[in-house]
Amino acid sequence: MDVYEVFRRGGHKEPFEHCGSVIAPDSEMGLLMAKECFLRRREGEHLWLVRRTDIHSFKDESLLEIAADKSYRFAHAYRDVVKKRDKARERARELGETG
Amino acid sequence: MTYEEKLGRFNEHIALGGKVETQDWMPDDYRRGVLKFIEMHANSEIMGALPERECLPFAPSLQRKMSLAAKIQDEVGHAQLLYRVAEDLGKSREAMFVDLVQGRSKFHNVFHYPVHQWGDVAIIGWLIDGAALVTQAALLDSSYAPYTRVLKRICTEEQLHLRHGEDITLELASGTDAQREMFQEALNRWWLAIIHFFGPKSNVEKDLLLRWKVKTRTNEDLRQEFLDRYVPKIFELGFHFPTPTPHSSEDGHWLIKDEDIDWEPLNSIKKNEGPETERRLSNRRAIYEDHRWVREALSEPAVHAA
Repeated sequence: MDVYEVFRRGGHKEPFEHCGSVIAPDSEMGLLMAKECFLRRREGEHLWLVRRTDIHSFKDESLLEIAADKSYRFAHAYRDVVKKRDKARERARELGETG
Repeated sequence: MTYEEKLGRFNEHIALGGKVETQDWMPDDYRRGVLKFIEMHANSEIMGALPERECLPFAPSLQRKMSLAAKIQDEVGHAQLLYRVAEDLGKSREAMFVDLVQGRSKFHNVFHYPVHQWGDVAIIGWLIDGAALVTQAALLDSSYAPYTRVLKRICTEEQLHLRHGEDITLELASGTDAQREMFQEALNRWWLAIIHFFGPKSNVEKDLLLRWKVKTRTNEDLRQEFLDRYVPKIFELGFHFPTPTPHSSEDGHWLIKDEDIDWEPLNSIKKNEGPETERRLSNRRAIYEDHRWVREALSEPAVHAA
């Protein structure tokens, strides 16, 4: 018997989401059990079953931390764009007056 | 890192509202406590199916029979989800089932009582599921995260059950004198057990599960929420309460005095000596034996596909 993790997709615009697990002798029975446990009310239109041992993840979650300052990858690094826009307009006006 | 250092970090993590996943380090007492708690919840779902199953022949119509059967299937489904979460903490389902049928583990007090008539379905579906929903909703923020994820699904279905139970209650309440009497008589028999359902006053100092935020609220707090929510609804339908009778307080709560509660029946049930404990457990044992061939057929991959 193996533990299978169950993933369910609510609709075509949704990603698959983990919804639980079942223990089954093989994937065919596992799918049947998953349907009974997680889809009795048609809560999704598709099911995935993955053997738990086939899932790979970081043993040490601290490895998920970002190694250095990479704030340039985030929107908040660009939040003074409004100020900068004003400054650029100011500069353009100056050029307009002189040129 | 020493055990004490790990424990210190764990306590700090919990104090800051941190959650715990299955693969995380946890103190042995936390693992044992959470396992026992979830196992008891799973046992209650599966044992709860039995009294309701006994009610199926009382159903007044085919529609009522089918909807009750579907609800019972949901309860068994909840047990499946919960046993799966408990298994990941290190106890096999086989061991949990054996402990249950041998009377070594516990299940909720209300499922140790007999059922008599269709009014019992109204009480179980509306008030007992209502009480369960109050306690389960409080657990949605439990520190053990895998438990909260299955509870989310369980609570959604329990909300439906509550509607189902209220629907039956309202049908009886708006019906003939005999129908109203059916509900009142069931309420009289179940009321004390429902008050017991939440357990005696919590010992906040000693309760490790409260300290580690596996449980988020005290028993008396949950009972109070239940009383405030349901007592007015029952009065509104023109029914009355047996002992322990709720009284309204000046600040708008419905109170039950602790000295009005006879705890003796609950103490017997805690020792698995309730009125129906032995019969229900032997029932469960028989079902477990009858289904052995299914488990054996399932234990080998692909034989069923031959």
